[in-house]
Amino acid sequence: MTTILELDSLTRVFGGLRAVDDVSTKVSEGELFGLIGPNGAGKTTLFNLISGFTPPSSGDVRFKGESITGLPVHKIAHRGMSRTFQNLRVFPNMTVFDNISVGALGMIGVSPFSALWGGRAKAREISERSWEMLEKVGLKEHADDLAANLSYGKRKYLEIARALAMKPDLLILDEPAAGMNDSETAELAQFITDLNKTGLTIMLVEHDMGLVMGICQRLVVLASGRKIADDVPAKVRQDPAVLEAYLGGDD
Amino acid sequence: MSKPLFIKLLLLVIVFAVVPFALEGLGKGYYYQIATLAFVFMLLAASLHLVTGVAGLLHLGHASLYGVGAYVAALLGSKYGIGFTYGLPLAGIGAAFVAFLVALPTMRLMSIYFAVATLGIGQMLFLVFQNWVDVTNGPNGVMLFDGIDLFGYAINSELGIYYVVAVVAAVSILILNRLSHSYYGNALRSLREDDQCTAAMGINVTVMKIQAFVISAFFAGIAGALWAYTTGYISPNDFNFSQSILILTMVVVGGLGSLPGVLIGALLLILLPEVLRYFGDIRNIIVGLLMFGAILFLPKGLFGEVNALNFARRILGSAWSEDNSEKGIGWK
Ligand SMILES: Nc1ncnc2c1ncn2[C@@H]1O[C@H](COP(=O)(O)OP(=O)(O)OP(=O)(O)O)[C@@H](O)[C@H]1O
Ligand SMILES: [Mg+2]
Repeated sequence: MTTILELDSLTRVFGGLRAVDDVSTKVSEGELFGLIGPNGAGKTTLFNLISGFTPPSSGDVRFKGESITGLPVHKIAHRGMSRTFQNLRVFPNMTVFDNISVGALGMIGVSPFSALWGGRAKAREISERSWEMLEKVGLKEHADDLAANLSYGKRKYLEIARALAMKPDLLILDEPAAGMNDSETAELAQFITDLNKTGLTIMLVEHDMGLVMGICQRLVVLASGRKIADDVPAKVRQDPAVLEAYLGGDD
Repeated sequence: MSKPLFIKLLLLVIVFAVVPFALEGLGKGYYYQIATLAFVFMLLAASLHLVTGVAGLLHLGHASLYGVGAYVAALLGSKYGIGFTYGLPLAGIGAAFVAFLVALPTMRLMSIYFAVATLGIGQMLFLVFQNWVDVTNGPNGVMLFDGIDLFGYAINSELGIYYVVAVVAAVSILILNRLSHSYYGNALRSLREDDQCTAAMGINVTVMKIQAFVISAFFAGIAGALWAYTTGYISPNDFNFSQSILILTMVVVGGLGSLPGVLIGALLLILLPEVLRYFGDIRNIIVGLLMFGAILFLPKGLFGEVNALNFARRILGSAWSEDNSEKGIGWK
């Protein structure tokens, strides 16, 4: 299997705190990859390092065989990586349709000139892609509503649809099930599995074991910034170091 | 006739037939001046709207870029004999160029720091107008008696000048309308909402902000040239901080993010003081109270963004209507 993402001794220090400490791993193309760990383990920081939001203190990120360390966020996005945020960042004062269109237009590209003249083909492509994603997450009838007026669960799907509108090769989801009840979580698990089946590589962060154990093909466990396990879910579940991290922590 | 076409025609008829007819009837230069002033400020407000209303950057120095355009037009006309035909676009380009130079270092600044930086830009340019006496003639201002010369035709009548101003302002506003009501406008709006998140969508945030700032300055420069050519005299105080605040007030009272609202706001703030002339100095207090009330009771402005977007998409018909977008959502 080809490797799509490779982390090489990634480290990020905040003041004296090693939020991510010498983490190396590989993600294969088409994999549904889980990252778990107790609160404050460094999961979000690791995602920020991968997507370019935070520069690493040391180490290297390689995406599709090329180093992307130090590239600006928008350039990394153009290489085919898209992400959602733990604290849900939709554009509140824009409609659902317009939110998703931003994901599409970032990749398709717009300019002031294309807005004035000759941009019809692009506009059609953006519009079609946005409708396709709206349909995919079942938000079609909300197209015209302000994102701020959607329920929390729908906003979560909106954020995923916006990320999908970029047609990424790697989708990074930071705690998509946070704040959802059991049945909503099960529905989301199904949605993510179906996405993965279309061939999309997905990295999924969760701090609960539940969701990831059921659907991920491989898991990395972080504790205090360090990688303590990297294996299939069945093995990780029995790993003494993992049990210790979860039982020993406040979880 | 479809509804969008009807509304567009109605607006055209008002601007190009009803208003000039009324102005001719009133037959006084004073009313023509007010009409010109209204167009200039509608264009200023519409151009600031792109930066502040759509892209969400609080810009406190817009009048200074308007001033750059006015000085470029007036100086080219009075000192170098370059008339309106070339003076108008050059005024826009001059203002855009100055904006580009100051934008490079400022655009990475966040929110309040950006606002303070634009305040500084405004003050700096004002001081240049005021003190670079050799070029700008300092506080004495610049006279421009050339009249409007359009591709060799001298336009002298008040009605003719009205038409020139109306056409230039209308075309400029239409372009700004296109920019804010398109997918490009969506990208600008997303900057306002969350620019870090916008970057994660593959959009170069800094470039987008510079573009919006420069385009906005271009049209402010055009407004400056219209002003210089129609009043025949400009001085630094036409472009000081209080003018920047006046334009910003038009944008906020009309409805941040809403172009039709912003145009209504500009009209109101130009016409109201004239209508209230009868009240003498109290009129400024009345205008102030009305503005205060408008913001208290209509915090989204006279015509909020959501209504404006619906208006543009459904009523003006700028929506993309394909089979899959049965609701007429999306932009052409
Ligand atoms: N920008 C920052 N500056 C300083 N410290 C930070 C910063 N970002 C994260 N940290 C610290 O780094 C550690 C790891 O944080 P991170 O958000 O990556 O954890 P997490 O695994 O995502 O936790 P959670 O499950 O709560 O989301 C925490 O102790 C946090 O306080
Ligand atoms: Mg986190």
